[in-house]
Amino acid sequence: MHNPMAATTRWLRGTWAVVSKDIRLELRSRHSMNVLLIFVLATLLLLALAAGPSTSIPRLQSGLMWMVILFSTALGLGRAFVAEEEQGTALLLRLHVSSSRIYAGKLCFNLVLSLAINGVLVTAFIVLLRVRVGEPLLLVLSLVLGTVGLAGTTTLLAAIVARSQRRAALLPMLTFPLLLPVLLPAVDATHSGLIGSWQNTGTPLMTLASYSGTVITASAMLFDYAWRD
Amino acid sequence: MKRASFYNTTAYRGLRLAIVVGMAAVILGAFSYGGSWLSVPRMPILEHTARNLYFHVPMWFTMMGLALISAYHSLQYLRLGLVVRDLRASEAAKMAVVFGLLGLVTGSVWAHYTWYEGTNIWWNFDPKQTLAAVQVLIYGAYFGLRNAMDDPTVRARVSAAYNLFAAVTVPFLLYVLPRQMESLHPGAEGNPAFSEITHPVMRIVFYPAVFAFFLVGWLLYTQRVRLGLIARRMTSHVELNL
Repeated sequence: MHNPMAATTRWLRGTWAVVSKDIRLELRSRHSMNVLLIFVLATLLLLALAAGPSTSIPRLQSGLMWMVILFSTALGLGRAFVAEEEQGTALLLRLHVSSSRIYAGKLCFNLVLSLAINGVLVTAFIVLLRVRVGEPLLLVLSLVLGTVGLAGTTTLLAAIVARSQRRAALLPMLTFPLLLPVLLPAVDATHSGLIGSWQNTGTPLMTLASYSGTVITASAMLFDYAWRD
Repeated sequence: MKRASFYNTTAYRGLRLAIVVGMAAVILGAFSYGGSWLSVPRMPILEHTARNLYFHVPMWFTMMGLALISAYHSLQYLRLGLVVRDLRASEAAKMAVVFGLLGLVTGSVWAHYTWYEGTNIWWNFDPKQTLAAVQVLIYGAYFGLRNAMDDPTVRARVSAAYNLFAAVTVPFLLYVLPRQMESLHPGAEGNPAFSEITHPVMRIVFYPAVFAFFLVGWLLYTQRVRLGLIARRMTSHVELNL
């Protein structure tokens, strides 16, 4: 009981229980994945048709890519907590697992989900809009760091949205103003990745990393207030 | 039960009168145009629009002050859970929106006729302008969130959490936005500081104007808090833990 190692292990085990439960449920129903993949592919198809294949400006391409990522995040990551409320399992979860484990578990699940979706999204984007990638490593780096920032911000807000009675369009409204510090450096870094230049990429990547750290810390501190009854 | 807020009504009314008189004096000073006393230096392009300094800048300061008050009361609400803290946080946010919108409008009009003279620009993503717009959007989301919840206790706690979360993310904008576009505001990177380009005569009005706007913001905010407390007392039969 007083052994810190054992406490950490128990904390990790509780977190893993939440993550594995969510992943198992997701693999069974594939609800979020199907909805998100169809949304992403439909949006990209419409975007490619609307903008035409001549959208060859890297700055515009990286901006459009992150806008689609932003909308799919706002659409998909809200499920994590809303589903618990809808299925009536939120109370059970509150009883069994402490709130810090639930936050960590849901954050991990959202990270896995959004990394998977964004991987598909960016691949489809590159193919459909005929994007030339100058430096794939930098593109992947900006994508991963940006996704961590998005998931870190959205997880707490998804828990907040789940507490409300009228949820329609609430998550985008709450997240978008707060996601500006993710969007701008992410677009910058992606732009550098597309044109294939490592120059001046330190600052956006550092900004993304520090923003993610700050947001996840703040979420961990505030989550209990949004979650408990 | 001890009543919250400013209980000494006579003192409050006296203070309110003093603030109204002070604000009137500031407005008179801002528009006075006589001889050398308080007349603004005439600069090309800027001309008499320089007087907007007395309004635009204090509005922006007042918005930031009210945003800090709002975040402070949200923090206190999460610590102790007194209903009045939630009321204070939301009313301060409401007033911050009012001053933020006024600051945006005065700034936009001012910039259209000076910085962007000869162009058709009304809105430019100047870092300070974008920051103010984001702050207003955040409070818009805050009130949208409050509207979406029925249980008052959950609404108070969850919206306080959102308010604090937003307060944590806003300082990043100060770092991120100037990289997107250079600011034309004084004191930004490479621009002369406010103290270097403001004529001493203008400071006679400017500093009292900042003070007066802060006080007007405080006055509107406390009035609305008092109104909210009275409304609560009239509609509720339960002893409130104010």
